[in-house]
Amino acid sequence: MEIKYTIQGLSIYIAIVAYLLAFLIALLGQKKVRRSGSGRAGHTLYAFGFIFAALSFVYRWIDVSHVPLQNLFEVFLYLGMICYPISLFCQRMLRVGSGCGDMLIGAIVLFPAGFIFNAQPQRLPPALQSWLFAPHVAVYALSYIFMAKAALQSVRQLAGKAFNPDEKLLPPEEATYRMICAGFPLLTLGLILGSWWGKLAWGDYWGWDPKELWSLASWLVYVGYFHFRYMFCKKHPRINSAWAIIGLVFILITLLWVNLSRLFPGLHSYAT
Amino acid sequence: MSKFKRAVLRIGLALIILLIFLSVYGAFIGAERAKSFFNSLPLSVYWITLILLLIVGILVFRRLIRVPWLLFIHAGCILILAGAVWGSQAGLKLQSRLLGTDKIPVGQMAIFEQESENRVALENSDQVRELPFYLKLKDFRIEYYKPDFLQVQSRDGKSWNIPVEINTEFSLGDNIGTVRIVRKFENFKIKIEGDNRVPCDDPQPGFNPALEVEIQSPDGQVVTKYVFERFPGHIHAEDGFLLSYKRVISDYISELQIIRNNKVVAEKNIEVNHPFHFGGYHFYQHSYDDQAGQYTILMVVSDTGVTIVYAGYLMLCVGVFWHFWLRHIFKVKKADGD
Repeated sequence: MEIKYTIQGLSIYIAIVAYLLAFLIALLGQKKVRRSGSGRAGHTLYAFGFIFAALSFVYRWIDVSHVPLQNLFEVFLYLGMICYPISLFCQRMLRVGSGCGDMLIGAIVLFPAGFIFNAQPQRLPPALQSWLFAPHVAVYALSYIFMAKAALQSVRQLAGKAFNPDEKLLPPEEATYRMICAGFPLLTLGLILGSWWGKLAWGDYWGWDPKELWSLASWLVYVGYFHFRYMFCKKHPRINSAWAIIGLVFILITLLWVNLSRLFPGLHSYAT
Repeated sequence: MSKFKRAVLRIGLALIILLIFLSVYGAFIGAERAKSFFNSLPLSVYWITLILLLIVGILVFRRLIRVPWLLFIHAGCILILAGAVWGSQAGLKLQSRLLGTDKIPVGQMAIFEQESENRVALENSDQVRELPFYLKLKDFRIEYYKPDFLQVQSRDGKSWNIPVEINTEFSLGDNIGTVRIVRKFENFKIKIEGDNRVPCDDPQPGFNPALEVEIQSPDGQVVTKYVFERFPGHIHAEDGFLLSYKRVISDYISELQIIRNNKVVAEKNIEVNHPFHFGGYHFYQHSYDDQAGQYTILMVVSDTGVTIVYAGYLMLCVGVFWHFWLRHIFKVKKADGD
């Protein structure tokens, strides 16, 4: 546990608190009061948290003089920032809401940035000085948020969350599918950009590195999901949901375990 | 859905699930062993089966031909797998037998400054092969981020990162004293002058960056220390501090010329992320002489199959984005227009 007594740390903590309060208010609003006022207050707090997460990200960018996506601290800061715009986009454009779930995702991903990962600025090693560095990581992180939302919808599906047709939002099974449809192209692009970059930096577009193999496995889980859903449509919604949840577990392993565990030494160790 | 189609889908799903398990297994055994594992004979059978099944799938499911973006996705996967098989060591051996081509798959070459070289030591082999042209190394250099840092750690756990500026005094606090960097060496050596040992910057080839540092205690006592980049953590029992010289590498650069028939036909600086493509090979900055900086080590990789793989990437990417994103956007726009 590392508390950051800096302006950046402070803005991360404000964002976490705002996301958590937004979550609690939205949760109470859903369960008890059902008043539009609580929804608005929750949304305002969520937006407030986003502003501080964005400020923290911009501050970091200026501080390190490169796109701050080099290590786990910076990636989690970015994840915490993009939760809100993705949530808004999904609600308004894709008819996928998750109630208070998105706010909780925001707080969860900011937590390690605030309390666990080291924020010591680092200079970019030669291998990371590529124009592919920022898009590769940014695109992956975007896809991860979509896939996390898909897993959240799957949990709702498995929990038997009642669907309210008045909400104008998709039921959980369809929402899961739509989220994976939104995230899968980004996941594919991330994999391809990484492969292309690997060819430029290390001489091979595929190095059989643990991180590469876990990211391939994550991609394949969603490929499996699409084929399974095509075969059985909605006959087995619980299995469809299980695919989405397994996908997120694989993503978490790719993002965290591979970098933090000594089990998987490899070319991506600088991301730790 | 016919029984045959259903069977193709089931086999496809089974192969996907199998590849998930194989990838996870590969992640646990490390990159080197995973590479051998995925290039082994049983796995070659798997890859060929996957390619054939994708082709069968395209032929059997008319939707995959009718919907061009689905065709792009599946054909893209076929191209990626086919390109990888074509460019693999087994693929190159096959091409050698069938087409009579004779390319070096992967290897390394060490080139000294101002010398030309065409010999390549093959990867995982004692064999040395020759390129049909020479590479001349004009210069090899390492660039560093500015400034360098002197790191000072006291015995009670305090630490300071001091930018290296000659003759600038840095206070470590009233109780500890000051630090002053007196001199910077690129290649530190000791020479004997009479009975004295004198530190100097040796112009001969060598690589031993160091700093001469003066530490003044609050009572005015001055101690001179030498801090070496390549020997961090060097400390004497009487020292109050652990001193380290930190530089962060920003780039490795090999300035090269390609020589064919005694004529320079191309020139290029190779850096990490900026390889050089010539004569059917990619050349990468791989390693260097860390003792004296006198030679560079380049990685030589055949470009066979790479274009096919990249074409597959492009098709897969275009197909996936069109199928999952763009067609919906256009549908919505069309509906809005109507």
